[in-house]
Amino acid sequence: MIAPALAVLLSLSIYPLIYSVQISLQTDSPAGPVWGLGNFERLLMDHFFWDAMAHTLIYAVAALLVEFFLGFGLALLLNSSIRGRRFFRATLLIPMMLPTVVVGVVWRLMFNPNFGTINGVLRQLGVNTEQLTWTASPRLALAAVIAVDVWQWTPFVFLVLLAGLQAIPQEPYEAARVDGSSSWQTFRHVTLPLLKPAILIVLLLRTMDLLRVFDQIFILTEGGPGFATETVSLYIYRAAFRFTDFGYAAAMSFVLLIITNLISTVYIRLLQSRESVA
Amino acid sequence: MKLTHFFRHVVTISISLLLLTSCRPNQKQIRLAVNSGVEGDALKQAALDYEKQTGIHVNIAGFPYANLFEKEQLDFNAHTGAYDVIMLDDPWFPRFASKQFLTDLTPLLQKRGQTQPDSDFVTTSLALCRHPYQTGNLFALPYVGNSQLFFYRKDLFDKHGLSEPVKWNDVLSGAREIQEAEAGDGNQIYGYVMRAAQGNAAVADFMPIFWAFGGEMFDSNGKATVNSREGIAALKFMLELGKFSPPGYASFNADDVGAHLLQGTAAMSINWPAWIGPFADPARSKVIGKMAFTILPSGDKPGQAEIGNWLLAIPKDSKNVDAAMDFLLWATSAEQMKLSAQRGNPPTRTSVFKDPDLIARYPTYPAQLRSLESSRPRPRTPQWNEIENAFGIFLSKANSGELTAEDAMNQANAEIEKILQRQ
Repeated sequence: MIAPALAVLLSLSIYPLIYSVQISLQTDSPAGPVWGLGNFERLLMDHFFWDAMAHTLIYAVAALLVEFFLGFGLALLLNSSIRGRRFFRATLLIPMMLPTVVVGVVWRLMFNPNFGTINGVLRQLGVNTEQLTWTASPRLALAAVIAVDVWQWTPFVFLVLLAGLQAIPQEPYEAARVDGSSSWQTFRHVTLPLLKPAILIVLLLRTMDLLRVFDQIFILTEGGPGFATETVSLYIYRAAFRFTDFGYAAAMSFVLLIITNLISTVYIRLLQSRESVA
Repeated sequence: MKLTHFFRHVVTISISLLLLTSCRPNQKQIRLAVNSGVEGDALKQAALDYEKQTGIHVNIAGFPYANLFEKEQLDFNAHTGAYDVIMLDDPWFPRFASKQFLTDLTPLLQKRGQTQPDSDFVTTSLALCRHPYQTGNLFALPYVGNSQLFFYRKDLFDKHGLSEPVKWNDVLSGAREIQEAEAGDGNQIYGYVMRAAQGNAAVADFMPIFWAFGGEMFDSNGKATVNSREGIAALKFMLELGKFSPPGYASFNADDVGAHLLQGTAAMSINWPAWIGPFADPARSKVIGKMAFTILPSGDKPGQAEIGNWLLAIPKDSKNVDAAMDFLLWATSAEQMKLSAQRGNPPTRTSVFKDPDLIARYPTYPAQLRSLESSRPRPRTPQWNEIENAFGIFLSKANSGELTAEDAMNQANAEIEKILQRQ
């Protein structure tokens, strides 16, 4: 029974992986492919690549922090018994269910400095929007694409953390109340430790997603203006499909993979250390 | 249980259909890869006629613009010979031809008693099909003859007593005059709209200014020279013009420019012939009958448009070279090209541009022919995609205010040099 699954895995996953290692170690020359670390040397000297890497990291850290605190706050709020929480829970999930391409197109229209809703509303409020060109401004573009990510993916953080909160049994809370702990102490010493697995999982998933972000930026700015919002994934796409330089694209993908792996390992270590204590 | 039964039937039937269609007994067929868009659609319709006339089955694969390049490149690399005739955008040609992916057409012409393609083809279009440019062997024939045109609002020019812009300085002064005078009347009309999004957009809108100012991308030794005195002056001029362009134009693409022109909120622009049609469409256009089209303005040098032709070529791995050549000659004949023009594609033959029926239908044909005849190709280098990408990033950075004209051009030059050395 394992054989077919193994065959699929081999042909769809292992073979392409080996092949991409191979092409990342080859550079084109008039005499045919040359083996070596040429692609990796080029990558070290390529300031476009490192600019894209910096944008990716800024994007990931900023979006992760905002999404986490917003999502956590919302989860705590809607875990308590406030009025209309069912309605809020349902509507909050809508952005996450929309295809990213649709989100990108809608926000692109909203960001349009002339016809867009955002500047339209600001003008109504008497704000001078001349400098507010959003995705066309080198200063605002990265913040604008981060805002769109926050809008779309905070609900995911919210959803996972809410599920985590609901799974916490009542007994520890009752015990804390009996011991006379304040609500901050309860949060700090009961909720947070018990929620830690959910927190680490959501941070891990979001980090991996953020580091390979492609679609919404591709639709919103295509990396521009200039190079202001180019991420590593966009640059890899360009190298592979516009310049047909698959070797270089593969080399960059491996660097991104290594970075993603390092960060993920840290998260997983944290997760395991907690489990061993418990 | 019933449902699985049903699915089994569906699968059996579809497999047998598949087998039937793929085993057409001994019938001759050629396979085409085309752009799915107006250019490719015209060729698809022509292929149906061809099938009726000759009995040769024409199998067509249509791909969106970006995918077409990938598919063709992958087919070449893997030597699959999947296509007998391919449609290609002219900037791809140097890459394909220099890597010897295409069939030399001259021997095939000689076999048919011709020494070279007939002289009716517009010289600038045919020059694109030779490698090296203009002088080398023939590896393609031109099918769609696009080149940029200068679009302007005739009504606004008349209203403000301005004549058709001939020089880039007329464009700048006209843009200022129209924008300020209209603002005085309470209308927000931008003097000039351009696209300065990184990549192809910024480069396409900049090249005519760059050339008119005497800029050259490379010197005679092939070294990058975009940061020459002329190049920097041209970019400074673009930034001046940008002051009369709508805010955010540093991220504009063709659709943003089209929207401003159709809404009547911009007075001038450089654009491609495909955008002429929509101005007459009442559903989209607020400027019906108000637009005029002419050749590009000049600077120290005569004005030149960027050429953007679709070519037809035969991959080297094709197994039906002769049948492919017959189709290629038929599709680019004057008679077929007239039909293609009626389907919306600008021709590459002088006689078709001058056809009275077509001029009656497309009054801009004389201007288009003048623009095409004086047009200039993007630099013919196999690395154009990468160079254009890098150049476009720095042009966009200058237009978004991130870099000065000097810094942008110096950095662009260094980056282009790096790409050239990687060869």
